[in-house]
Amino acid sequence: MTNTENDLPLNGVRVFELGIAIASPFCGKLMAHFGADVLKIESRMSPDVVRILGSAWLKDRDDLAPISSDTSPYVSEMNASKRSIGLELKTKEGKAAALQLLAECDVFLANFGARALTELGLDYDSVAAVNPDIVYVQLPGFGSDETMPYYPFVAWGPNQAPLVGMDDFTGHADDPPAGIATIAPPDYMSALHAAIATITGLEQRDITGEGVHIDISQFETTLALLGPFVMDYDLTGTVYSRIGNRSMWGAPQGVYPCAGNERWIAISATEAEDWTALRTLLGSAIDLDFDNPSTRLTDQDRLDEQIAAWTSSFEVEDLAYRLQSAGIAAHVVSTNEDLLHDTHVTSRNWYQVAASSRLGRDVFSGCAVKLSATPGRWTAAGPSMGEHTREVLSDVVGLSEEEINNLISAGGAFEQLEPDMVATRPWNDWIHLLVPGTEDARDL
Amino acid sequence: MAGPYNGLRIVDTTGLAGAYATRLFAGLGAEVIRLEPPDGSPLRRLGPFAHNVEPPENSLWWSYLAMGTRSVVIDPQDTDALMQILAEADVVFEDQLPEKSLVPQDEISPTTIRTKILPFGLAGPKRNWSSSNLVAWAASGILYTTGFTNRPPVAPAAPMQLAYHASAASALVGTLLALRSRRITGVAQDVEISMQEVALSIAPETGVPMFMDDRVHRERSGNRRDLGRPFGLYPCKDGFVSIIVLMPRHWAAMAQWVSETTGNESITEEVFVDNAVRVEAKDLIDDWVEELTTQGTRLELFEEGQRRGIPITPVNTIDALVDNPHLEAADFWTTTQLQDATEVTIPGAPFRSSSPWWSMAPAPRLGEHTHIYLN
Repeated sequence: MTNTENDLPLNGVRVFELGIAIASPFCGKLMAHFGADVLKIESRMSPDVVRILGSAWLKDRDDLAPISSDTSPYVSEMNASKRSIGLELKTKEGKAAALQLLAECDVFLANFGARALTELGLDYDSVAAVNPDIVYVQLPGFGSDETMPYYPFVAWGPNQAPLVGMDDFTGHADDPPAGIATIAPPDYMSALHAAIATITGLEQRDITGEGVHIDISQFETTLALLGPFVMDYDLTGTVYSRIGNRSMWGAPQGVYPCAGNERWIAISATEAEDWTALRTLLGSAIDLDFDNPSTRLTDQDRLDEQIAAWTSSFEVEDLAYRLQSAGIAAHVVSTNEDLLHDTHVTSRNWYQVAASSRLGRDVFSGCAVKLSATPGRWTAAGPSMGEHTREVLSDVVGLSEEEINNLISAGGAFEQLEPDMVATRPWNDWIHLLVPGTEDARDL
Repeated sequence: MAGPYNGLRIVDTTGLAGAYATRLFAGLGAEVIRLEPPDGSPLRRLGPFAHNVEPPENSLWWSYLAMGTRSVVIDPQDTDALMQILAEADVVFEDQLPEKSLVPQDEISPTTIRTKILPFGLAGPKRNWSSSNLVAWAASGILYTTGFTNRPPVAPAAPMQLAYHASAASALVGTLLALRSRRITGVAQDVEISMQEVALSIAPETGVPMFMDDRVHRERSGNRRDLGRPFGLYPCKDGFVSIIVLMPRHWAAMAQWVSETTGNESITEEVFVDNAVRVEAKDLIDDWVEELTTQGTRLELFEEGQRRGIPITPVNTIDALVDNPHLEAADFWTTTQLQDATEVTIPGAPFRSSSPWWSMAPAPRLGEHTHIYLN
């Protein structure tokens, strides 16, 4: 089967992306992987948070300060294969250039607040005025209807999960909520829904010629995952809450200690056949009355104690293999060090390496969506800030060199700082250990 | 109802792994057929249950996730019936490895897209391993970093089954891309989802690129983090609120609020403008902030804090969400009908579209549509 970039499902689709952090950038990266030309519109006045983070190894390198905005691992993690265009939308000139660019785009994608978009003059009506059949997708925290109570409110990353009920659902039953501030699942769920809505919008436009305005209130989108709990509350008044690692549907399921310091194993053995298999391994470590499935459910504390006493003598990796060999769902509770050595993950090429104009090359996570005939592409790692300003304004908008120079000197656009300044990440020489088959990529 | 997926036939052979995907697909206008064994889909055995409805129609998971779909009962041994259903499928969702799948791998039409949601993917040393929501999070690095230091680590929002739903949503993205590709090129293809990779993609914070950068071992730190102060969950009259203060303007507003409400004059001192100083003095800052938060309810603190421009949200429980004034004003909640005709509240569409794509019929009875597809 032929497999060139021209066959990718989003080939020919151009995306104008106003993204911050995760919710919109994660969607844009996915689209870029499958062939879209994703233009990340960037500002120096109010940069994307990934531009502010920088990199830990650059902390004491004042000489490299001008390139700091290109060095956070999140730059590639969220923006690989995009082009970066420096446009200051709060200036008259930058705004005018943005509207010219929007006339040439198929998709508008943004997770700016709804009020911020309106203040920039980039709300749906304003964009549709220059591009009536655009697929306009916005992901504001609380929707884009200005008559709604929380319209002006702000929630981001770590604050979103508690809002939509996730923190209350996290932790052991008798503990306070444990909180999940280390990750922000609502951002990713919103991004996936944005991808679904965008592709649907593109299909509609291709078939009927009509554009569409899609409003993804991040508050509402994640609540769509709470269906059964909302129904139970309505029917019986029951307020479901956290239950640790246990299952609502069977036992045992939990995280149990293994030999060593802070080594844990996750085990799910909730079905009858799982119990039969686990019983064989547990031998005399478990009371006989647990063969009664209702005892396993009603006496989970004693069940978990006995399993924990048994698991604590095993080395965790060894126990995971024993359990899985018996057909029981189990895994090491992986630390970030464990993931570095997870050969299953690396054998599937989860980590990707691609060229970076600033760093030579960079490594980032791949895409969890795998297509057999059109497997996507990574044209580059995350872009340097403003790297593609000139080429996009010239090739896409059709501005002359002089017009671009004027735009830049008026402060409406900017280019990459210090284009000749490059740096190599300290771990550059062993990236190939993470990415099988890329020994030859060292000179990429 | 005139969405772009009208006229597409989708066959779902999965349980929890694919259910959220085909629910969305049905909502967007596709014809979704759920193949069920004679004793019903495994989803039908998942509680909570509706007390006034008899099994196998009483599962609320089924009643929610199977909305808009059609139920066709098929004897797993009846290959003819199976092939009859599959013959006109545009997409088949599976959650088993090829050698274990109900779907004969070689007899499927070359124009049918096959979407496979698997624990660890089609290939690799762990391809035969089993999984669950808990196991997927364990394999992502996030489970290890969630929870209190002196307690075993916990999965994020475990009852919500996020690892399954995120895998299903990813599978739908892949499926829609494959359909677009088929419309343009005429060629169908396979979509592969590894639940572990979906969890990894949501967890870059514990991922390898970040670790290589700072070489910091990630540990759990309870419901507050030392990135800033206040940062995390703070108790209030009816639960907790979440406050994330990093930026100077957020701190200025926060200190002002505490000072005005509790009479604390020290908190507005210049020295605390430095986030690093606040982290150093975290116990003191936390005490002062709690003097404020314990005086209000979640909703009071949320609305007043947001009015002051502070990133604060309530730690919402199910009842608080159902009664939330914004969601009520936005007319977010809707209803579906159980088999005994009870109207029950459910979340509305996951996004709002200017084109009328979204509609959802109630979940089907076991075998309700068998006669339409098999005669």
